[in-house]
Amino acid sequence: MSNSISTRLIAFLSLSLALIFGLGLLVDYHLSRDEILARLQTESQETIRSAIIDLENWLDGVEGSTLFLARILEQRDYSHAGLEQMLKDIVENNEDIYGATIALNPDIADSPQGFAPYYYHREGILTYSDLAADDYRYNQQPWFRDAVSAAKPIWVEPYFDRGGGEILMTTFAVPVFRIDKNSQRSLYAVVTADVALDELQNYLRRLRLGESGFGTLLSREGIIISGRNPQNQLRHYSEALLDELDISTWQDMFRTVLAGQATTRRLECPEVSGKCILRLDALQSTGWPIGVMYSEREITAPLREYQIKTAVTGLVTLLLMSLAVYLVTRRLTRPLTALALASDNIAKGNLDTPLPSVRGNDELARLVNSFGAMKRDLKSYIADLETATASRSRLAGELAAAREIQMSLLPLGGEAFVQLPDYQLWARVRPAKSVGGDLYTYLQSGSRLFIAVGDVSDKGVPAALFMAKAISLLQQFIAAGDSPEYATAKLNNALELGNDNCMFVTLFLGVLDLASGQLAFASAGHTPPSLLRDGAITILSQEDGPAIGLSPDLRFPLNTYQLQAGDRLAIYTDGIDEAFNAQAQMFGVQRFNEELAGTSSMPLDGAGEQLFQRVDDFAGATAQSDDITLLLLQLPLQGSGATAATQSQKVQRVFTAGTPLAGRVIEWLEQALIEWEVAMEPQMEVVLIAEEIVTNIEKYSEIPENSEVIVQLDRIGSSLTMEFSDQGKAFNPLHEGHRSTLGADIESAEIGGLGVHLVVKLSDEQHYLHDGKRNILRIVKSLDAKGD
Amino acid sequence: MELKTAITIDENKSVARVSLAGALNTDTAPGFDQELQKVVAQGLDLTVLDMKELDYISSAGLRVIFKAAKQTKAAGRRLAAANRKPHIDKVFEILKALPDMAVFANDQELDDYLDSMQSKVRDD
Repeated sequence: MSNSISTRLIAFLSLSLALIFGLGLLVDYHLSRDEILARLQTESQETIRSAIIDLENWLDGVEGSTLFLARILEQRDYSHAGLEQMLKDIVENNEDIYGATIALNPDIADSPQGFAPYYYHREGILTYSDLAADDYRYNQQPWFRDAVSAAKPIWVEPYFDRGGGEILMTTFAVPVFRIDKNSQRSLYAVVTADVALDELQNYLRRLRLGESGFGTLLSREGIIISGRNPQNQLRHYSEALLDELDISTWQDMFRTVLAGQATTRRLECPEVSGKCILRLDALQSTGWPIGVMYSEREITAPLREYQIKTAVTGLVTLLLMSLAVYLVTRRLTRPLTALALASDNIAKGNLDTPLPSVRGNDELARLVNSFGAMKRDLKSYIADLETATASRSRLAGELAAAREIQMSLLPLGGEAFVQLPDYQLWARVRPAKSVGGDLYTYLQSGSRLFIAVGDVSDKGVPAALFMAKAISLLQQFIAAGDSPEYATAKLNNALELGNDNCMFVTLFLGVLDLASGQLAFASAGHTPPSLLRDGAITILSQEDGPAIGLSPDLRFPLNTYQLQAGDRLAIYTDGIDEAFNAQAQMFGVQRFNEELAGTSSMPLDGAGEQLFQRVDDFAGATAQSDDITLLLLQLPLQGSGATAATQSQKVQRVFTAGTPLAGRVIEWLEQALIEWEVAMEPQMEVVLIAEEIVTNIEKYSEIPENSEVIVQLDRIGSSLTMEFSDQGKAFNPLHEGHRSTLGADIESAEIGGLGVHLVVKLSDEQHYLHDGKRNILRIVKSLDAKGD
Repeated sequence: MELKTAITIDENKSVARVSLAGALNTDTAPGFDQELQKVVAQGLDLTVLDMKELDYISSAGLRVIFKAAKQTKAAGRRLAAANRKPHIDKVFEILKALPDMAVFANDQELDDYLDSMQSKVRDD
């Protein structure tokens, strides 16, 4: 969870907001603090000033009343009773004045004790006292003495008025002088007004600032009139202070104030911890230093309160902001969390996992929508992939089956090894792909061994299909005993039909007479075979024809080659000589021949295996580019017994069309057969065949006048091959002849039709071919007299 | 090869004997056809083709014989082939020409057949 976006977002946003907000609070606090401090300063000063002004007013009132009385007494004389009445009025009507007296100069008084009536508020009751009585000796009192010696109004240092007011007080004393006729100035009386120090205290209490602040009033002498501690009243301030440092500070300030200058100092608080401000000024009327001392801490309490409020506000705001950030973040990231869970599920292959539902068109909604699209695409992609994989594996299976079927078309399933007394044969086809276009086949028919190797153009499935057609036809033609060049021509015509794709086959087709070792072969554009004889290689020279399947009615030359005992013949497709290696070099015919020469001492199957291996080694990692086929034919070292030279005779005669063609042909034929010492019965049958065929040609081929009719006789051993060729219209008597239904109505039987029956019954093989110009009919017949 | 024919007619027995020698082939068939048609036109009960000396026969010759066989059969008479050499017989076999013809392997069979024909006539 600590790695989740929401946690990081909450932490980051909260921290950022806390920093910004804290900075704002700090700036605000600093600005507010200065302002508050200034305001508090002003307030404290205002408080002090107003208290002082009130005190001054109060003292001014006392001074004024007293000075007024003194002024009257300067001008006029009053009886004792009058004076007392005046004095009584002043004290009674002036709450500020504790007590007052008019003390006459004893020198001019009627009695020696003098005259000094004193009215004062004793516990709230106006009381009279006579200061001249007893032993008070008012003229000895400081207030009287000092005023007279000063000769002007003075404020007396505070004292306890024993025998008078009986309280702590200070007195304003005004000496009254009179000028006689001789302009002599003499003391008449001293008028005083007493002020109770308790009353002063009331004023000074107003100077109290904060919990532990206090006001203080000193006399000019430094006596404490009012202070923090009532016990210190009337003591000198230096006695009240304990600390030396404070004393010197106070002395310093005291002097400054007496010089008429207000002063402010900051010093340790006497009662509480922290610094205190001490401000000292002087009363204008009395000149008494008045001071106020207060604790900075207490006075700045509102500021601290403000600080706490700010901090609490900040903290609460921060908490609320964090909560808001948390809620917003959660709201934003909840779909993301759900999406992450869903994607985990999808990654496990559960593609039907529902995605979180989102509204609107914000980034998140787009993300979820994209995710949904991705999920759908993935689903269809996987489905496609499954389908493709299934069809691919089905195709692979089909191709494997096709390969098996194709190989089964080849003798011994594509890998043949035959060991017979007369010959050994080894052959192998290896397609480049699952299926291919290469083919081989062989068939022994009596003393004749047919061998064929072919290569269909292209490779893969198209070549394989064409190959299937080609090998089926080829095997059919071979089985029918067609000679190589003839079978090749027939195959060409058969494959050319409907060959719109222009597929073609190169083909080697040979027939080996096992008795004589005579190899007759036709080549349709195929690589000539290599012959290994006595350790040396010969490439069979061949006259070849074009590749099969491209145009109809082609003729293919017949080549013959006499093989000898011990010969090894290799027939192969271009997959061998055109095998490429990684350097794009070809295996080549020369290399193949060298390799073939190297197998002279090896058994045939080992030789075949080795040649294939050599091609593979040469190609290396390069994929086989074309189908590979190799057919090896080995003749035994010693003749198998049938080595006696077989009689081989051949004659040909060209006849010019025109009656009696049959007679002329028969005459020539009989002559030849007699020369060849053919027995009577086969001789007669051969003649009959020839007569029927020539009659047919005359009747149906519409041969042009003076055109050639060629008859060829080819006798190999006891086998006679007759070939009739004419330039008439294309006509295959074997198929198109009107063969009569045997045993049916004689009248309806065609003469030619009967003839074809005879030809077919009396001969062993009948082949028809039209090469574009000529009808060629080939009949093979055994000349052995069978006696039937 | 040439074809030589000899015709002997026994009117009592109503039998014509046509002896063939040599080759009945494309060349000789037209001439033989004419001769045989003359014999068949005489309306004898039996026409015997004696092939003792016939060495060769082709489909053209056979057609001539088949034609005559057809005609005689239609007229309620017979055409017979006698004394065929093996290779001639083989040709006949191949073309399944026998059903419409009386076949005699040799003269003795032919004589026996003629005798039975005679007695049959007398019984009527």
